[in-house]
Amino acid sequence: MYHRIPVSLAMLPAAAWILLCLALPAFAEDVPPPLAIPVGNVTLQTAGKLPEDALLDVGLAIFSPGIPIDAASHSKMGIFPEIRKAEAQFIPVYLRQVLVASGGWGVVRVLPDADASYELLITGKIRRSDGLQLVLQIRAADATGRLWLDKTYTDETAQSDYPVAAGDDPYADLYRQVANDLLQFRLGLSRSQLQEIREVALMRYAADLSQDAFGGYLEADAMGIYKLVRLPAQGDPMMARVERIRSQQHLFIDTVDEQYVDLYEEMAPTYNLWRQYGREQALYQADYQARASSRERYGRRGTFAAMEQTYSAYRLLKIQEQDLDEMALGFNNEVLPTAMEVSGRVFRLNGTLTSQYTEWRSILREIFALETGLPPASPAAQ
Amino acid sequence: MTIAPTTIRPVLALLLACVALLACSQSQDKPRPLPSNNVAKADFSGFWELNYGQSDNIQVELDAMVRDLRKQMDRRGQPGMNQGAMYNVGGGGTANSGASIIGLAQMADLITQSQLMEITQNEHDIKVKREGDFALTCEFYLGQFHTVETPLGKEVCGWNAHQLVFRILLPEGLSIQHVLTVGADRQKLNIATTVVSDQVSTPFVLNRVYERYEPQDEGYSCKMTISKGRVCTTESQ
Repeated sequence: MYHRIPVSLAMLPAAAWILLCLALPAFAEDVPPPLAIPVGNVTLQTAGKLPEDALLDVGLAIFSPGIPIDAASHSKMGIFPEIRKAEAQFIPVYLRQVLVASGGWGVVRVLPDADASYELLITGKIRRSDGLQLVLQIRAADATGRLWLDKTYTDETAQSDYPVAAGDDPYADLYRQVANDLLQFRLGLSRSQLQEIREVALMRYAADLSQDAFGGYLEADAMGIYKLVRLPAQGDPMMARVERIRSQQHLFIDTVDEQYVDLYEEMAPTYNLWRQYGREQALYQADYQARASSRERYGRRGTFAAMEQTYSAYRLLKIQEQDLDEMALGFNNEVLPTAMEVSGRVFRLNGTLTSQYTEWRSILREIFALETGLPPASPAAQ
Repeated sequence: MTIAPTTIRPVLALLLACVALLACSQSQDKPRPLPSNNVAKADFSGFWELNYGQSDNIQVELDAMVRDLRKQMDRRGQPGMNQGAMYNVGGGGTANSGASIIGLAQMADLITQSQLMEITQNEHDIKVKREGDFALTCEFYLGQFHTVETPLGKEVCGWNAHQLVFRILLPEGLSIQHVLTVGADRQKLNIATTVVSDQVSTPFVLNRVYERYEPQDEGYSCKMTISKGRVCTTESQ
């Protein structure tokens, strides 16, 4: 049996689609990331002298570069993917320096990959990074799963921030604000809470090595908050092995960490120059666009004068963009050899070190399993 | 539920008509959509020099375009206003005015002025550096075109069989298309540039032929760095 559908009704979806296509603007606007208020001038707070057992070790994972998948949007958003990937390694190293300067922490390490068994783990995502503005999404949580902060930080540069003095950063205020917020949270914790974080961190690491042997010491609630159910006996030889394996892992991270510092030191002068040029370019471009949109047309639409004006504006924009691209190439020309000494190209560094780190952790698990005769924890179970 | 075949036919016909209408309306201010079978590729890399003798003469092309437009007008029974102005072929108003037609030819001339080009290409992308103009760049994606948006325009590029197509969509009804074709012996390169204005009913097409040349070995190679600017060495490339 056939059901007749009126032609006009059948045409509706097609008509709607056509209308939608016609209604779409020529250049769809990207949704800008929600920005926080710039941090302004920030003075770094220092913790003063704290007892050894009150210091938490901090892991700073390499940041997410925040590069949109849609390659077409990179140009419009002023993102140079290769530089952004290098920034994802550069920024945590500077943040580490600021955290160390604040003095309230144990060992602060830059990690190739996030490791939730760290006493305090800081992760981040670059939302925007150029010569004008730095926007970072920062998240910090301790080993018990307690969230310290999950916040977007913004800082803007002024003309006076450039040229950047050696060891300084045009966005130093942002890093200081992050360090201050973390220190404030840390100072609000009691001694017993700090002790619990350290114990949970160790047991989470142990469970990471062998879920069978150590999984029962911990309990996680629905919110992902860990607490100790019990503790191993004092002098437990298994725990001694766990601590030894953990120090092996730290040794590896310290080696990797030195590579990040080398990269940072090699990269900083060029990177700061690149940011300075980027700022000048951005200001020039904004000024040019404002003038282009406000000035009167040279001629009637369709005339040579009007078309030439349209084309010239586009040509100038493209030349500006391609100049910046050339600079990015210059940036890579200087950064690459340094990275190549380490592990090939700078942009491979992240991947290589991350995979090395993963592989190293896997080897440590196997060593631990061989030593104890316990089945190793599968990586998927972590 | 099944729709009667007799009902499908008019629906389909109407749908096709709508799509055709849409395509026609777009074709007035934008070149035709590119086909999607962009698999075959050609190698354009090298240094290229403009050959004036083999390239289109802009005056000849302009005259031919005006003749076409007049024929179009005659067919429609709208005699062109060719008594006063040489190139006025429209029936008044702004469409097909002399200024718009000549403007389109002048634009084509302006856009195709580069006498030298350097093209670098690999399996992932191409960069066409044009003397005195911005470089045309394209990243290759299997089965799709590469789009780049800027605040002042949009670019779409990709393969159309052995041809490489760059399309630039600009504000105020202006769009430009460059189609690159290389000869079988890779000694000649043709760039067919089409300039479209929504004020002229026919696009203006200009072919520029380039010939391969080998730049003289300068005995040094340079690369761009930020801290030192352009750094040159005497090492061979």
